Amino acid sequence: MKILLIEDDREAASYLIQALDEAGHVTHHAADGETGYAMASGMDYDVLIVDRMLPRRDGLSIVESLRAEGDKTPVLILSALGEVDDRVTGLRAGGDDYLTKPYAFTELLARIEVLARRSSPAEAATSYSVAGLTLDRLSRKVERDGETILLQPREFRLLEYLMKNAGKVVTRTMLLENVWDYHFDPQTNVIDVHMSRLRSKIDKGHATPLLHTVRGAGYMIRE
Amino acid sequence: MSRFAQVWRTSTVRLTATFIAIFVIFAILLMAFIGWQSSVQIQRQQTDDIDREVRLFQRIENNQGIRALAFAVDRLSSQPGPGIYFLGDASGLYLLGNVTDVPPEVLIEPGVYSFDYDRPNPWSDDAGLAPGATPSPDAPRRAGVAVVRSVELGNGMRLVVGRDVVERRGYSAIILQSFLVGVVGIILFSVVAGGITARRVLRRIDTIRDTSTKIMSGNLSERVPVTRRNDEFDGLATNLNAMLDRIEQLLQGLKEVTDNVAHDLKTPLTRLRNQAEAALRDKASPEAREKALETVIAESDRLIQTFNALLMIARVEAGAPSGALSVVDVSEIVADVTELYGPVAEDEGIAVESAIEEGITLRANRELIGQAMVNLLENAIKYAKPEDGGKGRISVRLGRERGRVLIAVADNGPGIPEADRKRVLERFVRLEKSRSEPGSGLGLALVNAVARLHGGSFRIEDNGPGVRAVLELPAG
Repeated sequence: MKILLIEDDREAASYLIQALDEAGHVTHHAADGETGYAMASGMDYDVLIVDRMLPRRDGLSIVESLRAEGDKTPVLILSALGEVDDRVTGLRAGGDDYLTKPYAFTELLARIEVLARRSSPAEAATSYSVAGLTLDRLSRKVERDGETILLQPREFRLLEYLMKNAGKVVTRTMLLENVWDYHFDPQTNVIDVHMSRLRSKIDKGHATPLLHTVRGAGYMIRE
Repeated sequence: MSRFAQVWRTSTVRLTATFIAIFVIFAILLMAFIGWQSSVQIQRQQTDDIDREVRLFQRIENNQGIRALAFAVDRLSSQPGPGIYFLGDASGLYLLGNVTDVPPEVLIEPGVYSFDYDRPNPWSDDAGLAPGATPSPDAPRRAGVAVVRSVELGNGMRLVVGRDVVERRGYSAIILQSFLVGVVGIILFSVVAGGITARRVLRRIDTIRDTSTKIMSGNLSERVPVTRRNDEFDGLATNLNAMLDRIEQLLQGLKEVTDNVAHDLKTPLTRLRNQAEAALRDKASPEAREKALETVIAESDRLIQTFNALLMIARVEAGAPSGALSVVDVSEIVADVTELYGPVAEDEGIAVESAIEEGITLRANRELIGQAMVNLLENAIKYAKPEDGGKGRISVRLGRERGRVLIAVADNGPGIPEADRKRVLERFVRLEKSRSEPGSGLGLALVNAVARLHGGSFRIEDNGPGVRAVLELPAG
């Protein structure tokens, strides 16, 4: 993936660039808002990572301008402002996702990988399938190897989100945000409990597990 | 600044002055109108009287002759009162009457006249003068003003009948005088009353200012005295005191937070440092290093969470902009969060039962209500372990009661002693028993702040056994 990082904190930026490089992504860096905006509108990137507070031009105005020009490149906004209202403002300005500092790199990586995927046409699919597991979004039916699996509505949405991002890591907060639509950090292992229930429904009795726990990051559905 | 200038600047005094001015102007207008009206009325009355007497005399002369007329004129002349009578011959020479010096033009042409004349004094005033008695020519005389009608009788004689108007003018003068006394009285009274009012007002404002000066100089426990009059000043004082209570509470909170932050954050920071040091130690194996680093990350995540919670409480306590509130379905939030935590409770062997009234909407912040609900449930799950070793139970209730929306989360755990029920709502307050449990001691403080932000309240009740946490919100 080709990523543009607009971030004025040099240390944070160089750490991110190195970590993204290790994850196999090419990252360009802009240290201020004007340069960042010029690079974003001049070149084609898969994902933009934009810090909210930047010298010369703030992050939200960059995103707004890009959106006004019809640029649909997925944007992840980074911010030290983490209140509910700040998030809403960020997303309203045209950001696709919002991450509060300090964050775990795995969280950031998972989010940009899902974001880049979002711009591809898989979004509109009416059904997903991973190995023998199929999920039909219209009839709301889930089958594994031809065997129907009964899921609670919430479990269905969990699986739907995982399968939409099959092969990608999804973090606990991403699940909470996308499946329950809440943005807080639960202090207990609340997501894990739900995942283990889901896992027992789809993997139990099958030789190859599809739902994997990615240590220190989150979950993933893959063959 | 002089005391006078200061008093003048008070709105009470200015208001009083304005009212005095309006009052005086109104009184002058009213008095003038009354005076004018009565003078017109008296004048008309006098003219009528004069005309009637003239007609009477003419009738007497016609019917009974000149002698009877002379007798009648003489009789009326000698009566006390404002009457003026003059009977003269055809050339205008005085024959009878109580005035002698009638101006010639009055006698030449019949008509209505007004003239100055000398009249014996006391003539009209001396009620003691017997009828028919002729006043002494030596009696002191005084200037009079007469309004008269003069007529020519059948035989060419001149008859003048009139009234003295000095008395009438005297009456006007009395009206004017009493009116002036009245106005002066009004002004004096208003000034005194206004002054007293202004002084009282100033004194009470001074009290408030003195108190606020003391508070500004650092004595936050000072309060504005509230009297029993229950007037606007007491309303103001009560509000000021409530504001001061809030400020004092906030400052107290700030102080406690600072103390607690020092204590509660130093511990994990120390652990963090120890772990990092352990990882750096030469003898540490790669596995031990990795483990130490993982602990470092977990420890710092916890710290970040604590900071986030602290910041959130601070932001919520500072009051979110009203734009952040929108109409939300509380029933859905409570049901969602209960569902979210259902499996967690189940794994802990805790039974959750819920009675959630549907379709309750409120003007609220969805995230904050959700977070509050999460905190309540996490707390309940943590403590719903009966001391007798029985099965843990949690009940979630949402309903309306007396125009309020009540969210109640109850458990059957050990409960909280009554003395601590208020204290646990403060930041970082953790009871001895829960010290060993993980947690920041911020959960209930946040719920409390969320309740206050929405204009509601939060309290801990006894669930006998256990805790019943009740979040009460005003129905939107």
